[in-house]
Amino acid sequence: MSRYAVNSLLYRLKKDPEFRARFDSDARAALADADLTEAEREAFVAHDMRRINQLGGYLHLVMSIPGLAAH
Amino acid sequence: MGKIVFAGAMSHVLDPDYYQRACGDEGRQKVTACMTEIAAMGERFSATRADALIVVADDHLNAFSFNAVPALCVRIGRTVARMKQDHAEAFDAVLDHMADHYPLHEDLANQILERGLDAGFDLAMSWEAPVDHAFLSPVNTMHGTRPIPPLVPIWVNCFVAPQPSPKRCFDFGRHLARVVAASPWNVGIIATGGLSHFPELSLPRVGETDTVFDRRLIHWMERGEHQPLQELTVGELHKTGEHEFLNWMVLLGAVGPARAQVRYFGELRRINLAAVEWSLP
Repeated sequence: MSRYAVNSLLYRLKKDPEFRARFDSDARAALADADLTEAEREAFVAHDMRRINQLGGYLHLVMSIPGLAAH
Repeated sequence: MGKIVFAGAMSHVLDPDYYQRACGDEGRQKVTACMTEIAAMGERFSATRADALIVVADDHLNAFSFNAVPALCVRIGRTVARMKQDHAEAFDAVLDHMADHYPLHEDLANQILERGLDAGFDLAMSWEAPVDHAFLSPVNTMHGTRPIPPLVPIWVNCFVAPQPSPKRCFDFGRHLARVVAASPWNVGIIATGGLSHFPELSLPRVGETDTVFDRRLIHWMERGEHQPLQELTVGELHKTGEHEFLNWMVLLGAVGPARAQVRYFGELRRINLAAVEWSLP
C-alpha cells in the first residue's frame, strides 16, 4: 500500500478539474504515470471508492471528489 | 492584561439541507436546533465585544495537500479566503453562500506563533491556506448578519496519522491562554468538529457513532475533570470517531479548569451534534 500515492492522486482528482476530466474519459490512461500498486490502480479504474478507502484513501477525500464522491 | 472572554465548541457541518439529504427530517430538525443554540452562543460572544476570535479546527484535506501536513498550524497575514471547490460535493457544498474573505488578527496570530516557537511548540505557519466549513460554518452561524471580528484560524491535524496527542493539544491550549493573558486583547475561542462520527475513517462505518464515548467526554468536561481527557490516546479517538476532539482539547487547555455547559446534544445516525459553552471566571 502506498498511502502517499493513493492520497495525492485523490487530492489531485478533487482539486484539478482538467485532470479529473481526463480521468473521467480514460482512467487507465490518466493513471499511466501514477506510482500505484496493481490493486490500487484497479480500484481507481473501477471508481471503487470503498476499495480505495480500504487501501488507505482518506475518507474525507473519497467523500468529496466531484462526480466520484461516495456518500 | 488580556483575557479569554468567551469559549465554545460545536459541530461544524451546519447546514439543514446537508442533514436532510443524509438523515431525513430528523437530521434537518436536529441541526436546526443545534444551530439555534450556536447562534445564541454567538450573541453572547458578540456582547463581549472581543478584539479577536481564535478558531481551532481541522483541515479536511482541503487546505494542505500531501506536500506537507502540519500538526499544528497558525494562519498569519491580514485576511483569509474561504475555500472554493468547483462542483462541490457533501460538506464542501455548505460554503457556497458564505463571504469570500475574512479579516485576521495579525498581531495575535504572530504572537501565538512567535512565542509558541520560543516555548517549544514547533508550529507551522501559513500565509495562504484557505479555510473550509470547519472554520466558517460555526463562525457564520454564530454571527448571522453581525460583523465578524478578526479571526485567528489554527489548524490541528485530526486525520492524517500520526496526529498530535490529546495531551499535546491541551498543552498548546495552555500556551494560547498565556499569550492572551500577556496581551492587551479580549479574545474569544471556539473549537469545532465532532462529536462522534466516521469511526476509523472507514467508509462502511459512515452512519455509526459512539454515544457512550461522547457522554463520557461530556461528563468530564462538565465537571472540569481535564486529567482523564489528557490521558486519551489518538488511537481511542480514531476508534470512536472522535478525531476532531483534538480541536476541543486545545480549547480545554486554554480555559482549564472552567466547566462546560452543554447547550445542545443530539444523536443522529451520521454524527452526534453538539454545542458546548464554558463558564469563564
